[in-house]
Amino acid sequence: MNMLGRILMVEDDPKDVELTLTALEEYNLANEVVVTRDGEEALDYLYSRGKFKTRSSDNPAVILLDLKLPKVDGLEVLQQIKSDEKLKIIPVVVLTSSHEEKDMVASYKLGVNAYVVKPVDFHEFVNAIRELGVFWAIINQPPPGSVRK
Amino acid sequence: MARSYPYLQHVRPVVLRYGLAVVSVAMALLVALLVQHYKFHEVGLPLFLFAVAVTSWYAGVGPAALAIVFSALCFDYFFAPPLYSLNFTLNDLPSVLILLTFAALITRFSAVRRSFEDKLRQARDDLQTEVIERTQQASLLNLTHDTIFVRDMSEVITYWNRGAQELYGWPPEQAIGKSSHDLLRTVFPLPLDDIRAKFLQTGRWEGELKHTKADGTQVVVASRWALRFDEEERPVAILETNNDITERKRREEEIRGLNLELARRSTELEAANKELEAFAYSVSHDLRAPLRHMFGYAELLQKRASSLLDEKSHQYLMMILESAKRMGNLIDDLLSFSRIGRAETQKTLVNLDQLVQEALSELRQETSGRDIAWKIDTLPVCHGDRSMLRLVLVNLLSNAVKFTRKQPQAKIEIGCGDADKDEIVVFVRDNGAGFDMKYVKKLFGVFQRLHQTDAFEGTGIGLATVQRIIHRHGGKVRAEGVVDQGATFYFSVPNFRNPGRQP
Repeated sequence: MNMLGRILMVEDDPKDVELTLTALEEYNLANEVVVTRDGEEALDYLYSRGKFKTRSSDNPAVILLDLKLPKVDGLEVLQQIKSDEKLKIIPVVVLTSSHEEKDMVASYKLGVNAYVVKPVDFHEFVNAIRELGVFWAIINQPPPGSVRK
Repeated sequence: MARSYPYLQHVRPVVLRYGLAVVSVAMALLVALLVQHYKFHEVGLPLFLFAVAVTSWYAGVGPAALAIVFSALCFDYFFAPPLYSLNFTLNDLPSVLILLTFAALITRFSAVRRSFEDKLRQARDDLQTEVIERTQQASLLNLTHDTIFVRDMSEVITYWNRGAQELYGWPPEQAIGKSSHDLLRTVFPLPLDDIRAKFLQTGRWEGELKHTKADGTQVVVASRWALRFDEEERPVAILETNNDITERKRREEEIRGLNLELARRSTELEAANKELEAFAYSVSHDLRAPLRHMFGYAELLQKRASSLLDEKSHQYLMMILESAKRMGNLIDDLLSFSRIGRAETQKTLVNLDQLVQEALSELRQETSGRDIAWKIDTLPVCHGDRSMLRLVLVNLLSNAVKFTRKQPQAKIEIGCGDADKDEIVVFVRDNGAGFDMKYVKKLFGVFQRLHQTDAFEGTGIGLATVQRIIHRHGGKVRAEGVVDQGATFYFSVPNFRNPGRQP
């Protein structure tokens, strides 16, 4: 596993992971992605603990966060990140199936940087992921202390 | 005798009473002289006493005294020696004394008898007055609709009014003399001893009792008790006034039952709503994900195996992609439809003209490249939820655009019917595919479609959404159409002057 990714992806569904990585491949961004499969693993990565004990302490440039996750759900992860002095500077993009307004409102209240609903149409999905990847991992200047390449 | 007395005493003048004294003494004198003439001596005294007695009996004490004086004088003059002189000698003394003593005694007895008689008469009159008064009171009590009865301190009924008879069914003669609690099989709300203790202390009690009527049915009464005391402040009787509240109680029970039912139903409804919300949430999350995967992998397969697939296989893949997309649209529409049912309406004044412009710009993609003759009237201001009404217009206009697609010259008209004082009627008319009025009832149902999917795409939720929104505004929707000649959709919304109207 690449322990130094510019993008931290938190997604429990392997198919979504594969489709997202496929979409990022076109811009050679797939290698920059670290995938964690639930909220707990994501927090382990961010705090460099558990199986991520040995990784460098750099922050990812962006976190792509699903909301519906096993163990610790996306909103809880978001809350944890945004209430931590060291982590709250990392841009977080919620990437979810949910159109529900209450999820959107809750995410923005917790300080999310963007909220993207995964389109059903694959073309739209690929475009959305690609733009996200390009914007956050390449165009956007990440906060100091992030992985730089 | 009893009746002539007051007549003699009060009506006849005093002269007559004293006249009687003079006349009776004169008669006694006459008879005595007559008897003496036939040589019967010593009858004067008893005759005079008799005259005094008669006078005293009929004319009272005053005339009796006069009769005594006259008798004494006559006796002395006519019968006591020396005869025919009023000279009084010692020899006369015993006779005169006897006369005076007896006369006084007779008068005294007569006076006593009289005073007794007066008292008796007074008592009788009082009694009569009281009887009349009581009879009147009793008949007044009989007039009330309230149930009133009196029981003594040992609970025995002593009075029973007509209201009591009407309520319980027993006539007074059957009720009076019975123990009230036994007769009515009273059910008390508290132990009887507690009620009694409080009642004797305060002299009053109010509460609800259950009684059993003569026919065996039970009544609930609002009962008020009042304690009656005698002159020595001892409790002697209880006045019980009862009002039949059986019907009221029944209604109260009914209302309480209905309220409970209502509360239960609204809890159920709330639970159902929660479930629906959870369901919609789950649909939103979980149903879309596999769909996205189907779509994504079919797309990837198409890309990867493009060269290996024949025409037919490409078509199959296209079918999969189309179906997935269609299902995605269905889910999205269904979710927004359910959201409209759940969302709170936020009503403000809404400029419908502006809303039409917004709807049109939203449909720009669908109208581009089309030749549509628009006729848009000026619309009034209405009262409603802006975003919901916008959705109504978007749905109706997008339908009109869609169903006029096959017309060489499409015409779409937006207008306003005659403004009622309560509501505004807006219509959207097109010259498109129209529909058979036979199916007009199906038009607004969820998933109801009157056209085949390959002729006009759609999920069948648009008009259901329109209807739901308009109903939530307290308005109505209707449609008119002719196959191949177009359709008109009408909806009504509350006038801005009538914002209070609710569905």
